[in-house]
Amino acid sequence: MSRAAQRDIQPRSGLAGLRERLGDEGFAFGLRIILILGIGVFLSASTQGQSFLSTANILNVLRQASLIFLLASGLTLVILAGGFDLSVASNLTLSACLAAGVMKATGSPLLGAAVALGCSTFAGLCNGMAVTLLRLPPFLATYGTLWILQGLAFHYMGGNEIFGFPPAFRLLGTGFVLGIPVPVYLMALVLALGTVVTRHLNIGQEIYAIGANPVAARLSGIPVRRRQLAVYTASGLMAGVAALVYLARVNSADSGIGEPLLLPAIAAILIGGTSLFGGVGSVLGTVAGSVILALVINGMNLLNVKSTWQPLVVGVVLLVAVLADLLSRGRRERIG
Amino acid sequence: MTSTVTTAERSAAGKDPAPLLELREVCKSFPGVRALDGVSMQIHAHEVHMLLGENGAGKSSLIKVLYGAYAADSGEIWCDGRRVHISAPAAARALGIAVIFQEFSLVPYLDIAQNIYLGREPRHRIAGLVDRRRMHAAAREVLGSLELDYDTRTLAVDLGVAQQQMVEIAKALSQDARIVVMDEPTASISDREAEALFRVIRRLREAGVAIVYISHRMKEVFDLGDRITVLRDGRRVASLRAGEATPEALIGMMVGRPVGAVYERQRFPVPGELALEVRGLATDTGVKGVDLNVRAGEIVGLSGLVGAGRTEVARAVFGADPIVAGEVRIFGEPVKGGPETVARRGVGLLPENRKQEGLALLRSVQDNLLSASLWKLFPRGWFKASAARTHAQTMIDALSIATPDARRRVRMLSGGSQQKTVLGKWLSAGCRLFIFDEPTRGIDVGAKAEVFALIEELVAKGAAVLLISSELAEIVHVCDRAYVMRDGSISGELARAELSEQKILWLAMHGAVSHAGAAA
Amino acid sequence: MNAPGAVTRRPRLLPSIVPITAVLAIAAALAVPGFTSGPNLSNVGQQAAMLLMLSMPMTLVIMSEGLDLSAGALLSLCGVVLAKVLVAGAGLPLALLASMGIGLVLGLLNGVLVSVLTLPPFVVTLGTLGIAQGAALVVTDGNAVTGIGPQAASFYALAPLGVPVSLLIALATWGLTHVLLYHTRFGNSVFAIGGHRDALVLAGVRVHLYHIAIYALMGLVVGVTALLLTGRMNSGHPTVAIGMEFDAIAAVVLGGTAFERGDGRLYGTVFGVATIGIVRNALNLMGIESSMQVVSIGVLVIVVIFLDSSRKQKGRAA
Repeated sequence: MSRAAQRDIQPRSGLAGLRERLGDEGFAFGLRIILILGIGVFLSASTQGQSFLSTANILNVLRQASLIFLLASGLTLVILAGGFDLSVASNLTLSACLAAGVMKATGSPLLGAAVALGCSTFAGLCNGMAVTLLRLPPFLATYGTLWILQGLAFHYMGGNEIFGFPPAFRLLGTGFVLGIPVPVYLMALVLALGTVVTRHLNIGQEIYAIGANPVAARLSGIPVRRRQLAVYTASGLMAGVAALVYLARVNSADSGIGEPLLLPAIAAILIGGTSLFGGVGSVLGTVAGSVILALVINGMNLLNVKSTWQPLVVGVVLLVAVLADLLSRGRRERIG
Repeated sequence: MTSTVTTAERSAAGKDPAPLLELREVCKSFPGVRALDGVSMQIHAHEVHMLLGENGAGKSSLIKVLYGAYAADSGEIWCDGRRVHISAPAAARALGIAVIFQEFSLVPYLDIAQNIYLGREPRHRIAGLVDRRRMHAAAREVLGSLELDYDTRTLAVDLGVAQQQMVEIAKALSQDARIVVMDEPTASISDREAEALFRVIRRLREAGVAIVYISHRMKEVFDLGDRITVLRDGRRVASLRAGEATPEALIGMMVGRPVGAVYERQRFPVPGELALEVRGLATDTGVKGVDLNVRAGEIVGLSGLVGAGRTEVARAVFGADPIVAGEVRIFGEPVKGGPETVARRGVGLLPENRKQEGLALLRSVQDNLLSASLWKLFPRGWFKASAARTHAQTMIDALSIATPDARRRVRMLSGGSQQKTVLGKWLSAGCRLFIFDEPTRGIDVGAKAEVFALIEELVAKGAAVLLISSELAEIVHVCDRAYVMRDGSISGELARAELSEQKILWLAMHGAVSHAGAAA
Repeated sequence: MNAPGAVTRRPRLLPSIVPITAVLAIAAALAVPGFTSGPNLSNVGQQAAMLLMLSMPMTLVIMSEGLDLSAGALLSLCGVVLAKVLVAGAGLPLALLASMGIGLVLGLLNGVLVSVLTLPPFVVTLGTLGIAQGAALVVTDGNAVTGIGPQAASFYALAPLGVPVSLLIALATWGLTHVLLYHTRFGNSVFAIGGHRDALVLAGVRVHLYHIAIYALMGLVVGVTALLLTGRMNSGHPTVAIGMEFDAIAAVVLGGTAFERGDGRLYGTVFGVATIGIVRNALNLMGIESSMQVVSIGVLVIVVIFLDSSRKQKGRAA
């Protein structure tokens, strides 16, 4: 064997070697844990330890993270497969409003949930068809859906608010089990499901392959369009789930409920290490990203930063995360 | 031949001995391949300098260096007796170099005149607005010199291929360049348009312009050429006056290679069942009626020049491109559908562009090895990481893929190991018909031998192989028999005894084996 | 493909939006009471003016295979800045300059991120949307900026020769964009960046300059549009223009500008703006609220895309 080939088979040393042994995702996750701890330390120090480290506050952060994560989980799959879905927040809005209306009218949380999930999944399916059958660029197709869903929500609500839902339903957002908020359990459940799909099912491997190189994936016999349809549908479904939990938490629905959630969801995914270009990232990473984002928002609240600054901060964080993604990728591509 | 006389007359009359442009020992390498290996070339005014060489000889790389699209690794370029650096297209333009590429670079929704003058549109003195009248008039004039009367307001998107090529030519001519480089300008145009082009070339030559002309057509080489340079494997083999050359000698220079540098096939199993049968295949991508077949145990070659349609045949067979007419039968069964369907019948395609189409560079060796066989290894859909790891490691060992770990990103592997990974992908899927498209491109000599040994092992075990290659020696030394393609259809089939580089090249360029010319 | 021999300019298909605009205009005139009244038509014109202004540079952005989602938020921000400068006592020209300055800065940011760093436009402008919106909220604390004096409103009320000044400015923007697109090197480069960027590189052109300029132009025009917005509302408000980019993008797409290969027609966008203006106005008069108007426009966009692409297919087969 040539000397060059021999050099190839030595394991790498130093940081690169550590990265290889842990695997890409392990390494990325490790970085995020360090970041979380770092922010945590910073916040406990700046708020004199009291307010930040209190149990109530930590649980609050976790609950906030869960809400972001539930919405971002489906979107993570779509992005892993190399696509994008701008409509998740409007999807959430419409589902939440429909659920609210149905619950008010029939008194049945189950019926409300069924309608919400059915509608959100259908919206996801439509997105998927627009991308796979009509071959529209994903962001254009989902941008259109964003407005259509938003418009339908406005129309349905007629400018009103619906509030006051059955206590059984409210437990979904505000309840505690063994001292831990219910949404956190949901986050754990979705994380488990997501990990099973991405790591332990063939379809997960195929999703990563499609995201990494859709042409090579097709030429390897992977049914690319079918998988793309699946991930968009999943994104729709999760928007519906997030809608129900969010609705239960805030106990009221209006047509603007989902709008402030889009940028944080995208930011959480990117901070979590999932690349916008597809093929790189994990559901676990999105959990980490959601926690980091929740910490940042929590920190701003504790430090009495005016709430009007929040969209600005999230916007900057988003751009920084995109830049970091680009740099780590080491090359340039166009998507969309 | 009249042109030779004229050329001789001209050289006798004492042309300018100092070259207009000179390359000295120019080198350019890419990972795994030396595209240009110390090439020197002198381009003189008043001359048409023909550049010959088979696929991969380095002609395109040479042009790209001349034009500033590539930067040479080493060597010098001299112009007008001064050393120059051509770092970008703008620099080449400034030196008076114009290039007509083979791939068109027209802007679809701009008209002919705007395309010709893109970036240097004539402007009114006031406000810097484009002077359309002057631009269109100038465009009409340039087209007129090519004996064309196109409406210059026609949008590029509405032009046919031949017309686009003529506009590309007009674009280069309008630059009033001193050196015009033409990369197979007649490839897509009719004879009549070609004749008009030749008249222009002769006028340019009279006027003192230097023309570098790449061609695969012997007739053109001898009709137009004053001087001929032959490249092979990135090196200049010869530079001679047209009068001193013959077609046979030129082909000999293009292909001649020291014996023993290529893999020698050991065993030739008896061909078995019909693995692939193609009848009357035609596609939108340029395949115009192809018949071929491959049997189990055979390595069948598919040769031809770049653009002959070989990759397009492979893609159509694999289901990657839609079939307009004809039939494909795999192991006796007709097949219709995309790659998902065809792959499950036991067919595997190793694409020409392995980094863009055969591998997911960001993913690990293991991930890539399994990407085509998930359905086979884990039929119920449950992906078991440990089983995957074991399988990947087995494949890595069996193919001697040089990586310390199955989890290394495939981007970091050498060309040879990357190619083995693509092969491993299909072996894992239990493939029985392999279509290799340029399998040894960008791979060093040692790895090439390994790849061929693997291919030979495949057919020894009963697989069928269709081997597309531009390296004539490979076809001759490795294949049982070979088809040669030209312009979208098969121009000939050569049995084992008839296989020779000269015959292949002749079929590729001319379309019929001429016994007078081709020395076996 | 042309038949061999004759190479002439093929007449381009009229975009589907043109007959559709006519049909909708007639339908509205007949079916919606009050549509054709003088004050209403003037209203339509004024509403459409701002949309027209945004849609002109947006056409160029989309032709270059880009997208600007931040236009609406940026418009709000520029309006707020303009208002604040007026409140501080400065004159209208200075306020306008400030507004255009902010617009230019964010436009340049978009342009650099898209062209030099090759980041995807929709993500970049999504980010700048957040920044612009956030900045607007921060500067105003979430409240409207009032007490800006009479300058803006009186400017807006001007009507030389009976034509509202907003319409005049919008038409001037159309004219300027037309000249830029069809009569300058910059305009040719817009076609090239969307259609075949490499052609520009091979021609030795400094592509980045032109590509950034496309987004910078958008920012500048947004800055000018803020003048009309502030004049019309007589105040600055941080979230008032959110969503206008949807109408602008819809107008461009309705007008037949494709998202690839640099195919675009400015007058198509104008018809798109007219259509949206007519639809919104008619639906308003019929008492249908904004949300359903958006849905209708979305559906209309899908119909027009479908019509345009099937007519193109038929044209090719012929």
